[in-house]
Amino acid sequence: MNHYTTAPIPLITLVGPPNSGKTTLFNYLSGKNYKTVNYPGATVEYSMGKFQSKFSFKANLLDSPGIVSLIPNSLDEEVSINSLYSHPKLGPPDLVIITVDASQLSRHLLLANQLIESNFRIIIALTMVDILQRKNLDIDTAKLGKLLACEVVKIDGRSGKGVENLVAKVENLILSKNSTSELTKAIIGNDSNDLIETYKKIELIESEVLIRLNDTSLLSNVSKANKQLRILIDPKSKIECYKIDARTTKIDRILLHRIWGLAVFFGVMTLTFTSIFWLAEPLISLVDGFFGLLSSESLKLLGYGWFGDLVANGIISGTGSILIFVPQIVILFMILGLLEDTGYLARGAMLIDKPLSKIGLNGKSFVPMLSGFACAIPAILATRTIPNRRERLLTIFIIPLMSCSARLPVYALLLAFILPADKSWLGGFMLASIYIFSIVCSIIIAGIINKMRNKLIKEVDSSTFILELPAYRTPKLKVALNNTFKSTTTYFKKAGPVILILSLLLWMLTSFPNINPNIEKTGLTEIEAMSLIKAERLSTSYAADLGKIIQPVMAPIGMDWRVGVSLIAAFAAREVFVSSLALIFKVTSDESTLQNSIVSAMRNARVGKTQQKLFTTSTIIGLIIYFIFAMQCLSTIAVSRKESGGWRIPILQIVIFTAAAYLLTFVSVNGLRALGLD
Amino acid sequence: MKSAAQLKFGEKVVIRNIDSSHPSSRRILEIGFTPGQEIEMVNSSVFNDPLAFSIRGTVIALRKHEADCIIVE
Repeated sequence: MNHYTTAPIPLITLVGPPNSGKTTLFNYLSGKNYKTVNYPGATVEYSMGKFQSKFSFKANLLDSPGIVSLIPNSLDEEVSINSLYSHPKLGPPDLVIITVDASQLSRHLLLANQLIESNFRIIIALTMVDILQRKNLDIDTAKLGKLLACEVVKIDGRSGKGVENLVAKVENLILSKNSTSELTKAIIGNDSNDLIETYKKIELIESEVLIRLNDTSLLSNVSKANKQLRILIDPKSKIECYKIDARTTKIDRILLHRIWGLAVFFGVMTLTFTSIFWLAEPLISLVDGFFGLLSSESLKLLGYGWFGDLVANGIISGTGSILIFVPQIVILFMILGLLEDTGYLARGAMLIDKPLSKIGLNGKSFVPMLSGFACAIPAILATRTIPNRRERLLTIFIIPLMSCSARLPVYALLLAFILPADKSWLGGFMLASIYIFSIVCSIIIAGIINKMRNKLIKEVDSSTFILELPAYRTPKLKVALNNTFKSTTTYFKKAGPVILILSLLLWMLTSFPNINPNIEKTGLTEIEAMSLIKAERLSTSYAADLGKIIQPVMAPIGMDWRVGVSLIAAFAAREVFVSSLALIFKVTSDESTLQNSIVSAMRNARVGKTQQKLFTTSTIIGLIIYFIFAMQCLSTIAVSRKESGGWRIPILQIVIFTAAAYLLTFVSVNGLRALGLD
Repeated sequence: MKSAAQLKFGEKVVIRNIDSSHPSSRRILEIGFTPGQEIEMVNSSVFNDPLAFSIRGTVIALRKHEADCIIVE
């Protein structure tokens, strides 16, 4: 702390209705100086930033999820509104910037009006003026400011036009701060007559500030026309302002059509998932091959003692098992971001609202469920946009059944085992089948849970679906890339350390206490001695002790304690199953990739001391079924508890999903064996 | 009494009233469906529900159940 008395850095909160250009402005104001948890589909958690250094004024900047009014209608909005009145750490804001879409003036002024009536000091940032100008209209900002008694600035968050001016006004307002009036909680407009009156007042203001541009023939010459505008109070201008984008309506007639709409919807979904497999495939083998090589090289370099083993099989393989998801997660977040930016995701939600409502879900469950295919954690957080509590809980409940990207390496390994090497194309087909199977199963489970909801979820709430369909636009690749980068880094910051620590823990469990076993080395080559040491170390390890306890549970489903230990380890994160098998079967990286080495080690694994093979087609299919259902993820359980507000939902998830997984695995393994499959 | 849920494709009407006893009425008003406003049913989803209405220069999708509280005649 320095001893100069400096004024505390002011806090500015950014507020705005959905689709008003709020996040674009936030990004422009804060540049790269922000911390954020941002998930596809919604600005669910608020971002915290500072004004970029290029603006000479210093201030903390808080972004919040889009809200329609100060009276909350969903959890998402409640968080946003509460933190607006008083942020839990930073207190009430010194100033609120509200983004108002100029082409949606009357609808967006409702929130501005509520903020003013609650005694917030506000400044209006008028966005999307260009859309209005294309309709030959403009807004008299000076007059609007006078009527509302606040500053109004036109800005373009994408190009940054007008933002300097906005910052200057913000600085003026903050410095001229004199009297602080108490904030009053909004009760205004709670009554429907009040709302109607407010809208009448806003409509009056609107008709006074809307200006028709003088020269209607010069569409391209807006700026020139702008200079010679003449204020005309013209009832026609309001009608023109309310015209909707004709192109969007035309596109919607196809995309919401009962045949074409569904065809496009399934086409888009298929394309999304196939590109996750096909685009990510070469990148994954690259990452996999690289870590396989690194692991075997470091083993050679450091020697085959316990230290070399720790580095190669503990640290390097552990890191590899995290980084192997990067391609898939990046691609899925990227596609989701692009779809969101075009405006299609809102249509997708509208399209499947009806079928989803039949199983107790909501059209708004669609985006969270889709995100669930990348990772359940951001997906569960994204359910905050579902206003109905029962539907939200049910969505949270079934999200772990969406085939998240952590299952992919497991499926990839298991499929590599049962499929012949020369028919790798079958892998993609089988993977697609697993996805379809898991989607069908989650629909069935959601339906069953919905039927029993009075016993299981215990929430009664009226179901609603109100969603703005934004005009279609070309997605901005830069915006999508930026969001993808944010989502991916957030995910790895959260999940990465856990996975790494657990891989190390697992290495210790499989190596201690007998780290340097005494064996008779005479007459053996160094390699033979090494593998004997490893086998001895493992069979006397803590993991082996643990495994023997669970052996009776594993035997009925055709597995042994080694698979059991791997399944327990996979509770940390499903993908740990792969690195765990590699450790337990003491895979030596003699093949080109880690996966090939594990597959050959699995082929050689025997049940106990017998000649019976441990891994057969039926046990591998059983394992795949197990992974489709089992609630194998500690982080998901933690997030589920936090977001559902109690232990009820996560405990139900663990019990129901794990029981279903075990039973179905039991049935399929023994059924397949009865049918003669080995 | 006719509600917005009964509108045909492309039908343009003026809102007469909002049924304030409906649980969604507040949110419907907040997003701009107020008496006197002109709305048009511009699209319907695959299963004829939800419906999309143009209101105040934007398009908003509502379930028929919600559109029922918008009284148009």
